[in-house]
Amino acid sequence: MQQRDPYEILGVAPTAPAEEIQKAYRKLAKKLHPDLNPGNAEAEEKFKEIASAYGLVGDAEKRKKFDNGEIDAGGAERPPHSYYKDYASSERDHPYADNSGFADFMDSEDGFAELLRRSARAQANRRGHDLEFRLPIEFIDSIAGANKRLTLPDGGTLDVTIPPGIVEGQVLRLRGKGAPGSGKGGFGDALIEVEIKPDRFFTREGDDIHLELPVTLTEAVLGGRIKVPTPTGAVTMAVPKGSNTGTVLRLRGKGAPRHAGGHGDQLVKLKVILPKEPDPELEAFVSGWENGKTYNPREEVAT
Amino acid sequence: MKLSKQEFLSLSGLGHETLVAWIEEEWLIPGGSFAEMSFSEIDIARARFIRDLKMDLGVNDEGVGVILNLVDQLHGMRRTLMELREVVRTTK
Repeated sequence: MQQRDPYEILGVAPTAPAEEIQKAYRKLAKKLHPDLNPGNAEAEEKFKEIASAYGLVGDAEKRKKFDNGEIDAGGAERPPHSYYKDYASSERDHPYADNSGFADFMDSEDGFAELLRRSARAQANRRGHDLEFRLPIEFIDSIAGANKRLTLPDGGTLDVTIPPGIVEGQVLRLRGKGAPGSGKGGFGDALIEVEIKPDRFFTREGDDIHLELPVTLTEAVLGGRIKVPTPTGAVTMAVPKGSNTGTVLRLRGKGAPRHAGGHGDQLVKLKVILPKEPDPELEAFVSGWENGKTYNPREEVAT
Repeated sequence: MKLSKQEFLSLSGLGHETLVAWIEEEWLIPGGSFAEMSFSEIDIARARFIRDLKMDLGVNDEGVGVILNLVDQLHGMRRTLMELREVVRTTK
């Protein structure tokens, strides 16, 4: 986008001394500052333009660079920020609120005063704000559910019941646990966004839970019953004879609760692990095991 | 959102002495006690406005107080106007 010339925006000559530029800027800013013109979007747009122009040529160093063509007119754009007016008119209860500018209107006996009073009564009985919090929980608690106590910034606490099967980013609404309202307005709600910490062992995909589980050579070759952890407690699982690294076994109904009822599955991926220390007996057996020498698992891998 | 004094100072870029002076002038009204002040976003926006008035617009201290008073009255009226609009809309 073609940037307008900052001198032109401020209405000064490119040769103008610094004092003149400041004077020109002040004159425009007094007219256009967004907080002196709440409700005037056009003034805000114009102010942004003059503020960024002044940010450039009102700064001796940047002005020099701009005049030498080292930076262009976009070189001093200010990051957008919110103004006082963005809070002062929209928020109801803040320490700067001042209704004295029209108090006399309220006291008269006409229909307009009645309207004003009605509006003041409505304001007097307004519901409190909703308050937002984040709650990090363990993966296991996200599957099995849990009761958590959240400590609030003001030192209070909030008891939160985590329903089983909650997912990352889900928001729990605690009715009436937000900010107090005024008059008969009642409390707002507390909105709690749940953040699930990653688990060392379990991961979740949809309603299924994945786990990689080490097994011994004996368990893999001969099969057997082993204990498997799940987020809701350990269960016994049959490892079939001749299992291998990469074999996936399914524990039905041991996954996350489903929306429509029932549960997903837990998928257990086996990983055969040899003893940490070299075992002479195992070495002796494998040396005498003829099939082990002829079987080539790399047959399909191009070498 | 509630901010401590330290958080407020670093977010607003104010020094401690300036903060105390502005509180004494009642330009800023933090929550909590003097020993443990608490601030919110509106205080940060207001501090930025005061800084703009003093630094960018060259308003002197007397002028800042007058402007803040009038601006706050204007916001009070704007808010009441918005609420009146609601009342008119719902009673139709």
